[in-house]
Amino acid sequence: MASIAIIRSQVESRLPGALSPYILPAPEMLFTGVAAVDRKTGGIPKNALTQICASPEVSSGKTTLLLSLMAAVTAREEFCALVDASDSFDPASAEAAGVDGARMLWVRCEHKSGLRSMEQAFKAADIIVQNGGFGLIAVDLGNIEERTVRKIPLSTWFRFARVVEKMPAALVFLLSHPAAQNCAALTLYLSGAGACWQGSGKASHAQLLSGVECQVEIGRTRLRKPVQSAPARFSAISMWA
Amino acid sequence: MLFGCIYALDFPVQAALHGRPHVFLSSVAAVIDGPESLLKVIACNASARAAGVAIGMTKIQAESCGAVLLQKRVVELEESAQAALLDCGYSFSPRLESTAPGTVIIDLTGSGRLLGSANEIGQQLLRHAEACGFVVNIAVAANPDTALHAARGCKGLTVIPPGQEAARLGGLPITVLELPEEILEVLGHWGITDFKSLAALPQVPLTERLGQQGLHFQRLAKGEIERELLPAENPPAFRECTELEEPVDLLEPLGFILNRLLEQLMYRLRERSLATDHVQLDLTLEVHAERQLQGESPASTITPHCQRMLKLPVPTQDAKVLLKLLQLELSAHPPEAPVKIITLEAFPARMRCMQAGLFQPLAPEPAKLEITLARLRAVVGAEDGKGRSRVGFPRTLDSHRPDSFEVLPAGAVPGWEGETEGSCQLALRLFRPALAARVELREGCPAALAFLHNRARVVRAAGPWRVTGAWWDAGGEWQRDEWDLYLNLDGAAGLYRVFQDLCSGQWFVEGMYD
Repeated sequence: MASIAIIRSQVESRLPGALSPYILPAPEMLFTGVAAVDRKTGGIPKNALTQICASPEVSSGKTTLLLSLMAAVTAREEFCALVDASDSFDPASAEAAGVDGARMLWVRCEHKSGLRSMEQAFKAADIIVQNGGFGLIAVDLGNIEERTVRKIPLSTWFRFARVVEKMPAALVFLLSHPAAQNCAALTLYLSGAGACWQGSGKASHAQLLSGVECQVEIGRTRLRKPVQSAPARFSAISMWA
Repeated sequence: MLFGCIYALDFPVQAALHGRPHVFLSSVAAVIDGPESLLKVIACNASARAAGVAIGMTKIQAESCGAVLLQKRVVELEESAQAALLDCGYSFSPRLESTAPGTVIIDLTGSGRLLGSANEIGQQLLRHAEACGFVVNIAVAANPDTALHAARGCKGLTVIPPGQEAARLGGLPITVLELPEEILEVLGHWGITDFKSLAALPQVPLTERLGQQGLHFQRLAKGEIERELLPAENPPAFRECTELEEPVDLLEPLGFILNRLLEQLMYRLRERSLATDHVQLDLTLEVHAERQLQGESPASTITPHCQRMLKLPVPTQDAKVLLKLLQLELSAHPPEAPVKIITLEAFPARMRCMQAGLFQPLAPEPAKLEITLARLRAVVGAEDGKGRSRVGFPRTLDSHRPDSFEVLPAGAVPGWEGETEGSCQLALRLFRPALAARVELREGCPAALAFLHNRARVVRAAGPWRVTGAWWDAGGEWQRDEWDLYLNLDGAAGLYRVFQDLCSGQWFVEGMYD
């Protein structure tokens, strides 16, 4: 035991703090503006990577949640960036959600799908992360096929997670499956729980889509233990309802 | 009254080697000018004179004097060097006279309390001119012409106290006065070789023989003439130009030259407390007719001039930022032929002064953001098929036409004035361009939909909602019937916006509610 203590003191004399545990400070949280999600998660963590996973073909509310988060960030007069791998962002929806266009950098990838589009998205995200000054950096890979996303090496996710750890920014990925694995501080699963309609009768012109019911579930979190497995629901209301 | 004079030695040589004073001092250099068949030396430095080079020699004669660095005269270079010399003077006083190429007289009256004694001002002028890349003589005196002649005739710094002009100028050779040839000849016959002997001549006989002109030169030699300065006009633009001996066809060496030019421009802007938000780069290319034979891009299609422009949202004085932006711009759109002449012009703007608050939210630094946007453009491309930018800040247009928006550079989008509501709005996730679809109708209502690799049954439909616009414009008219369809996709539910283009009858999937 005495020899261990000697070695320890010798190491610490040369490398101070080398043997003391590294404690991450509690991250600042960004509220999404969706009460059910904020209650369940406590918000989206800054200095960390978050993944929002949902099926690309199902109306699950992932884009609604992202726009609401961006609106909340720009309302705080912070800047956000969206790397849009499939060029699917709708500025009209963002405006309706309250996103301030003057504080939102939009990067539209040239290729709509496949490996090239994903490659562009990651390069663009890397450049934005290096620039700094953004409170939220969102990368929308929601329309990229799962088999393509699986080709991203784990080291890439790890690198992004480590880089953003030292920045006052939240890095959010929209994915079809949880590709970032344990590099993500928070993993959310979203799914659709039905549509809301107004109007009666069978005639289609008497019907009106008034919103979508969405379900959110925490897949993994480093921030709040134990993980609450019970899903929460929220409604996304259409502009005209 | 106090005047200072900056006199750049062998100015045409210094202008040709501007920014490289060590080369001017260490090498044997001369400037040649004239028609290609008869190039003659018009200026040379002290080392060249010592080596036997003289003004008026032909190029071949100059070359025979040893390893002489011969530079062809470029008027633009002399203009930019003169502008740099003026800027050097403007650091001390707003009242300047651009007396001759390489000579600037500064009115220093009243600057004693700010800059110190005449000797201290002279020292500062000398240091500043050397920092600007010039090898100069400086003189400070009570009248402009005394300062001018002292600077022309005495090496380094000369300070002449009031009343001692005649005594201090006395030893200078008469050639410093730049007399007309005939007067110089007459004075030569009289044995007058310096200022002192000219000043000693009796006034009446001198006037009888040489007229009022002779008297004027005598008073100049005595340092007695008081006159007002002819104020120099502000340069219309900040421009730097360089002509390369060998054309450059690679972007990396071009970057080094651009860096030097940008640093000179930024230095001049900083001297006037100015910045720039608009930089224009003009490249003159060397286009060879023989390239046509080599199967490369035909020379006839290449324009000999190439222009690139940079516009920044905020003025900057940072040469590195501008260099990076120019490099990104040139890598995205490289010149089609080797570059021969580079002209860089910065349009001046006032610096934006802003007090940052302690609790101000985080925001990207404007200059750094501009570089980031340029780098992003290099990755994802500049524009889409409709001419809309791929990188920037989105703004919806005041139109009912679907998917009408523009993407603007930083700072061009007005801030949001609405309020963010508590409830979350359902977002639409677009397919750009809209996906072609096949729709099965039942009693006029979609019953099944097929698009991409999906085929789904319609569970519930709402619509049609007819939207039309631009009916007054034959080419731009659009009309369509929109439907909101709730699809059953292998047990999962998807809500899609589908429309039928009424002009073509074709069905499309515009996006998914998500």
